[in-house]
Amino acid sequence: MNIELTLAYRYLGGRKLRTFLTTLAVVFGVLVIFGMNIILPTMIESLQANVQGASGLVDFSATHISGEPFSISVADQLKNADGVRAYSPSLTRVVNIPADFYDDDSNQPDKVTALSLVGVIPEAARSVRAYPLVEGRYLEDADTNAVIISRTLADSLNAHLGGTIRIPSVDGTTELTIVGILPARTSPGNEEILVNLPTAQTITNQSGKVNTIDIVIETFASEERRNEIQTNIQNAFGKNYAVGTQISADTQMFASLQLGQAMMNLFGVFALFMGGFIIFNTFRTIVAERRRDIGMLRALGANRKTIIGIILAEGLFQGILGTGLGIFFGYFMGAGIVKAMRPMMTQFLNLQIGEPVISPTLVIVSIALGVGVTVAAGLFPALSASRVTPLEALRPSANEKLFEGRAGWGAVGGAVIIILTLLAIFSGRAEFIMPGGFFFLLGLVLITPILVRPLALLFGKILALFYARRGISDLAQGNLTRQPSRAAVTASTTMLALTVIIAIGGMISSLTFTLYDLIRANLGSDYLFIPPSIALWSSNVGANKDFAEQLKNIDGVDEVSALRYSSAVSNGQLISLLSMDPVAFPRVSALFFQTNIFADEVSAYASLDEGRNMIVNGALLAALKKNVGDTVNIVTPDGSFDYRIVAVATDMLNAKVTTGYISHDNMKKDFGVQDDVFIQLNLKKDANRQAADAAIRALSANYPTFKVISGVEYYNTMKSQLDATFSALYILFFVLAIPSLIAMINTLTIGVIERTREIGMIRAVGGTRKQIRAMIVSEALLLSAIGTAFGIFGGLYLGYVIVIALESIFPLGFVFPTAGILIGIAIGLIFGIFAAFIPARQASRMNVVDALRYE
Amino acid sequence: MSNIQAEKLTKTYGAGSTKITALDHVNITIKEGEFVAIMGPSGCGKSTLLHLLGGLDKPSEGHVLIGGHNLTDLNDDKLTELRRRKIGFIFQFFNLIPVLSAVENAALPVTLDGVKPAEANSKATEWLTRFGLSDRLMNRPDQLSGGQQQRVAIARALVADPELILADEPTGNLDTRSSDEIASLLRDVSKQYGRTIVMVTHDPRIAAYANRIIFLKDGKVVDETLLEKKNGKNAEDVMEKMKQLGD
Ligand SMILES: Nc1ncnc2c1ncn2[C@@H]1O[C@H](COP(=O)(O)OP(=O)(O)O)[C@@H](O)[C@H]1O
Ligand SMILES: [Mg+2]
Repeated sequence: MNIELTLAYRYLGGRKLRTFLTTLAVVFGVLVIFGMNIILPTMIESLQANVQGASGLVDFSATHISGEPFSISVADQLKNADGVRAYSPSLTRVVNIPADFYDDDSNQPDKVTALSLVGVIPEAARSVRAYPLVEGRYLEDADTNAVIISRTLADSLNAHLGGTIRIPSVDGTTELTIVGILPARTSPGNEEILVNLPTAQTITNQSGKVNTIDIVIETFASEERRNEIQTNIQNAFGKNYAVGTQISADTQMFASLQLGQAMMNLFGVFALFMGGFIIFNTFRTIVAERRRDIGMLRALGANRKTIIGIILAEGLFQGILGTGLGIFFGYFMGAGIVKAMRPMMTQFLNLQIGEPVISPTLVIVSIALGVGVTVAAGLFPALSASRVTPLEALRPSANEKLFEGRAGWGAVGGAVIIILTLLAIFSGRAEFIMPGGFFFLLGLVLITPILVRPLALLFGKILALFYARRGISDLAQGNLTRQPSRAAVTASTTMLALTVIIAIGGMISSLTFTLYDLIRANLGSDYLFIPPSIALWSSNVGANKDFAEQLKNIDGVDEVSALRYSSAVSNGQLISLLSMDPVAFPRVSALFFQTNIFADEVSAYASLDEGRNMIVNGALLAALKKNVGDTVNIVTPDGSFDYRIVAVATDMLNAKVTTGYISHDNMKKDFGVQDDVFIQLNLKKDANRQAADAAIRALSANYPTFKVISGVEYYNTMKSQLDATFSALYILFFVLAIPSLIAMINTLTIGVIERTREIGMIRAVGGTRKQIRAMIVSEALLLSAIGTAFGIFGGLYLGYVIVIALESIFPLGFVFPTAGILIGIAIGLIFGIFAAFIPARQASRMNVVDALRYE
Repeated sequence: MSNIQAEKLTKTYGAGSTKITALDHVNITIKEGEFVAIMGPSGCGKSTLLHLLGGLDKPSEGHVLIGGHNLTDLNDDKLTELRRRKIGFIFQFFNLIPVLSAVENAALPVTLDGVKPAEANSKATEWLTRFGLSDRLMNRPDQLSGGQQQRVAIARALVADPELILADEPTGNLDTRSSDEIASLLRDVSKQYGRTIVMVTHDPRIAAYANRIIFLKDGKVVDETLLEKKNGKNAEDVMEKMKQLGD
């Protein structure tokens, strides 16, 4: 090993605690980035597998841009399209399979959670795809309820040629007879089951409709010719149809996944940034501590490159070790979360999640970030180390002016930035306020150096009240004001950590309250009938209106309210439409109104039945860039309709999804949908609850698509899930605060080392160990007080930014985060005392004579 | 390298009213193989002179010639190389690197010069053994006594076979017995290996081990004495001289 590496290695080993803490910071940053970036690709891959499984090998597929079924006659428009060899209209629906539908055993994991039901015209389908049967026969036009399945599905359901399989349908369930078996499937995704078009239309209650047209074009077409034919097809269908080579994965799902991913990446970058900050701080400590050693090496003939090499080698060691461990633990975290999500994803989204996906890019980016940030953070201190002259080993007197000087300009810049960001708040415009959050923090960091002195004086007065013996807190305060920029770096680290704690803490607590209220009102009906997937309505097969009517006739039932679903397109934006019975809905559930053109909510609900009126949620309003009172044009396969926005309101389940609420009548008229996908029910006050429960459950057995759950039960599961999520978040954010602790320990330690002689002197003239300790602790408390004070400002700003950012998705009032601030202050002070512990011990244990001799 | 020559060597600190002239047009010549002691009261510029001779600092005026080469003409890298190969330093505070063992510390100058660690360490081990530290090779500095640490530092100063050894109060931090050991060690080195040694001290007993003493006062050379070879028994003569100068 060469001398740089040897020295780096030895120094690291010589300061195990610090090496550990610094490396921990890198580990943490890399862990978050790596772990979180495993989750999304894994989910996307699973989603794509599900989708691709259905898309097959045709040249093009055409769908309506809303994703909704359209009349089969649309396919005729292809008759004269140039270059088209054959086409096959089909009705393809993902059918979610309720839990334990096939095995009836809740202890066995379900082998099949969703199927792709494909209804085709037999001859047309055969002209675009091959169906190499291994057993039985192909579909015939005269077949009803005949199905072709794969060998794999047959095996997993224990089904045979000539036997039957059940699938959920709008009437409850439908039995299909297996007439043919295809080879075992090799591709991932949902199993396809092939039926005649009319059978599929009956099962899903969509008579006369198809939703996909598969197209094959003339063979051996060149790339150019392919594009030309695609244009022909597009022209034949018009702009409301999408002609593509592959069905795009579900946009709703991607949108919310990506949001989560972006938040977590932000968190990871922040963590890594904090890590870099600590490493920077640590290296400054190292260089300050070792000026003598470094000077000595220079005197002995080490050149500047060697010195830089030593410091950077230390960074490299820590970077590599930290990154390695970060990736290692990150994998377990990511894989762990993927695993933990599996049952939830299956339950709520009916998505089968595969093995954790790790892209090589992720590994490379994580390594580059982890090692890069560490080495970069060491670079500046390394350069300053290389400027240490040999004389400094021999006369270490004038080495204080390490990082001074730039404070003046920084402070001016900081003040300007702070003023601008405050103006941004008053402008009330999200596009200014959001980046303002970042810049406000930057401004605070820049302005801290010049504020250290006045703040230290201010807090020093308060401290003096606690330390009866005069002089000690004066000394501490003097020590800080002597090194304002170093104090500022530490205070800033504390500030950043506390900003996050306060902002997020505040947000979480207000979100918690709002959410629990919302759940109780929105989903607090006596019974809920939940389809297999509650956020992705489109893949649920609903129930025809018989179910709700029969429920209503049960003795003791007061009111039944159902939601119906259709997707649609407005202004190029894919939206979800849910319809309700404007009378029944408010009696068992509630929307949370924010804006309303009517005086009260009753009128808003009532207006849904009076013409084409629509209540939208915040996400939809933002996506459409419209205001309440405006009219939006909604495109359906049957034409386009103008709806007026009468109110903005949110419900729990669809808060993240761009959703509009209309009446059942309009849903039927304009979108042709009449099946219920979500049902809520209230009992009469004086109902015989036991009898009603038995009757409800007995009836529901005929509609296995729905899971029957009592409102209380549902509330409790939701609450415990939310609680678990939030406490996990709290832990994450607490961990994020730890770097500031490390930074504080480091700064205090340099302070002690640099003042070795001074401390010896105080001891020599009669200062007690206790007083020395008190001095260091006061210094730490002053530092953390400054950091905390700034952190509160930063936290308030950031909290506001979060509220603004969430506005479009989930409206929250800006709640002043009192709890967050109190927690922040407590953490700040506890950290202050904790950070002082090691340096204070070191200082008070110092041998007086040695300290005095230390030059 | 042979002779070392300082010509009109001047060093000032600060400017204006706070200006301090630490060295004031000092002219001295030190011959190859000579063991010279520099004496004088605290603050008279002894360390400053030594630093300038070793190329650790730049003079404000005048220059240092080593074997005819002017140190002022050398850039940082060349100076560094010169220090590494031709000059050995010994300081009052032993200035060992705390995380390295005795051998590794002693071997530093050659390791820094790119010599393979095994080879460097064996060279260092030779010197340490010569200085009676063969059973302390693997100890870190904090496990050694002051005298032992200083012997490691001397081994370090010699390991690269430098022609010039500069020692700034090498016994300043040691008790009398260790001081005598170190001083006679330096004299032996000078005699047996023919190294040029310049040693700063304010202890007449230690200065008496040298061949020649240069007296400094307020940055100027005030006297020089050639000592007879009495094996360190000249202390009284030196004290006598100091008394004269003090008046
Ligand atoms: N970096 C410096 N800045 C200002 N004055 C210095 C510096 N280094 C040394 N001096 C002054 O130069 C003079 C000579 O110092 P020095 O050579 O250390 O004396 P000695 O080693 O003889 O005790 C002293 O007055 C000292 O205060
Ligand atoms: Mg001196």
